[in-house]
Amino acid sequence: MEPLHGHVRPRGARSVTPAIRTDGLTKRYGQRRGLAGLDLEVHPGEVFGFLGPNGAGKTTTIRLLLDIIRPTSGTVEVLGMQPRVAGPDLRRRIGYLPGDFVVEGGQSSRELLTFLGGLLGGVPKHRLVTLADRLDLDLDARIRSLSKGNRQKVGLIQAFMHEPELLILDEPSSGLDPIVQETFLGLVREASEAGRTVFMSSHVLSEVQRSAHRVGIVRDGRMVAVEGVDTVRARAIRRFEIRFEVEVPADVVAGVPGLDRVVVDGSVVRGILEGRADPLLKAIARYPVASILSEEPTLDEVFLAFYRRPEGDDGAA
Amino acid sequence: MTVRHSVLGKTLREQRRALLAWMIGLSAVAVLYASFYPAMSSPDLTEAMDSFAPEFMEALGFTALGTPAGYLGSTTFGIPGPVLTILLAAWLGIRAIAGEEEGGRLDLLLAQPVSRWRVALERFGALVVVMAVLAVVLFVALLSISGPADLGAIGPGNLAAGTIHLAVLGVWFGGLALGVGAATGSRAITTGVVAIVGVGGYFANTLAAPIDAIGWMRDISPFHYYSGGRPLVHGLQVADVAVLLLSASLIVVLGTVRLDRRDVGT
Repeated sequence: MEPLHGHVRPRGARSVTPAIRTDGLTKRYGQRRGLAGLDLEVHPGEVFGFLGPNGAGKTTTIRLLLDIIRPTSGTVEVLGMQPRVAGPDLRRRIGYLPGDFVVEGGQSSRELLTFLGGLLGGVPKHRLVTLADRLDLDLDARIRSLSKGNRQKVGLIQAFMHEPELLILDEPSSGLDPIVQETFLGLVREASEAGRTVFMSSHVLSEVQRSAHRVGIVRDGRMVAVEGVDTVRARAIRRFEIRFEVEVPADVVAGVPGLDRVVVDGSVVRGILEGRADPLLKAIARYPVASILSEEPTLDEVFLAFYRRPEGDDGAA
Repeated sequence: MTVRHSVLGKTLREQRRALLAWMIGLSAVAVLYASFYPAMSSPDLTEAMDSFAPEFMEALGFTALGTPAGYLGSTTFGIPGPVLTILLAAWLGIRAIAGEEEGGRLDLLLAQPVSRWRVALERFGALVVVMAVLAVVLFVALLSISGPADLGAIGPGNLAAGTIHLAVLGVWFGGLALGVGAATGSRAITTGVVAIVGVGGYFANTLAAPIDAIGWMRDISPFHYYSGGRPLVHGLQVADVAVLLLSASLIVVLGTVRLDRRDVGT
């Protein structure tokens, strides 16, 4: 008798194996700390934005995933395998874009991509051409003669061209102009729709916000926050700077909800605003306002807004 | 896997210009020296050379200048040939791992489905091919000039033996550079080691040889196995060539064992 609940099981139950999982991942370079116990889990099929300021450990993590460097302690699993043990078989299933895409400059992109495609066991020529067309890259120009942005396109093509199960992209948007950026986001979306996993790092939230399902923030070698990107967006954290035409008292915005790190300096007020802007606007309307500047916060500011505000269950400091 | 798609084939394609330049340079040096032989082999000059202390001449790499094999062994195969060959081989060997690593180019290759062993061994293979091509070109150049330059007495067999010994010397130094580079990942350290072994090995072979107490130094010099058996006179010295090839392979293997275990590019 067939089990009646058989159909309830999600199709391809095997895929519950995380695409990436690290547990207490630590890497020291002599005295220098690279990673200090990073815990990370990326689900299969999701687009994960790996965020952090420069030097936080993003590239170290990525190089550990690819077995270019080895952990001091802790465990790494990629597609259910240990990179150190699985070796080439695992890397065939990964598309990797290094943070610093450097290759021999004397060759053409076609030459390089054909070579890499060969190592991967063969990539159909039409796929190369299609990707190059979409990204508007001349495959026959020597790589040395390409601009930084065009070199990055070569890097993207080699990462995507064999349609790998897992894409590991280190700062993929760097050097790309806005149009190419759109194309890149399209590639990420398509990969995700096809069930592939995308793990991409960035030091700017807005870069990954549009394509990622979840974002993780790494700081000083540790994962400090993992949130659904909708949650982050819903918090609507903005940095603002208001210039008045007159000097304003230090308590001009006191009591306004959603404010953090407010600095009143003569006729200028700076700070972080989370959520609705209306109470703030009402509060400042008492004085003549010269200008209002509102921009995306830095990662640190997002992090602080999420984890340092004395409103959660810790309530400390 | 075709050659076109192999690390070996790719390495060779990237190095084709350097190889071409070296083929032309080395052949030109060889032909130039050879063409001076008829003038150098005159009795007067031989007598003048004989008046120098033999140890001094030996240190400069000059022996039996009056015979074709002695002349060629002292000139083309004495210092210029080995220097040019070792420079190319060492450059290729340093580039193979340490240079690529310091240049930041190794990450992408190692992230592909290739093992570090394969990368190191195919790059060593490419080095062997380059040295073989260089030897063939040098052999053809020397063979074509040997008639007009009165060097025919050496014979094609011994001439081939001489060029093979030279190529194997190149493989040895290239292997040393590749192995040390693979183990350390440092271009500076590798360059230093190759320079010290090259200069030290040369003088150990020429200066230490006559002094009994340090005669053993000659036996550990790669140059002893290159020229000690006088291949231009006695033909291919199989044992000497084997010593060089085996020790070079050992250095490459030890370097790769270390490469396989260490972090790359940190």
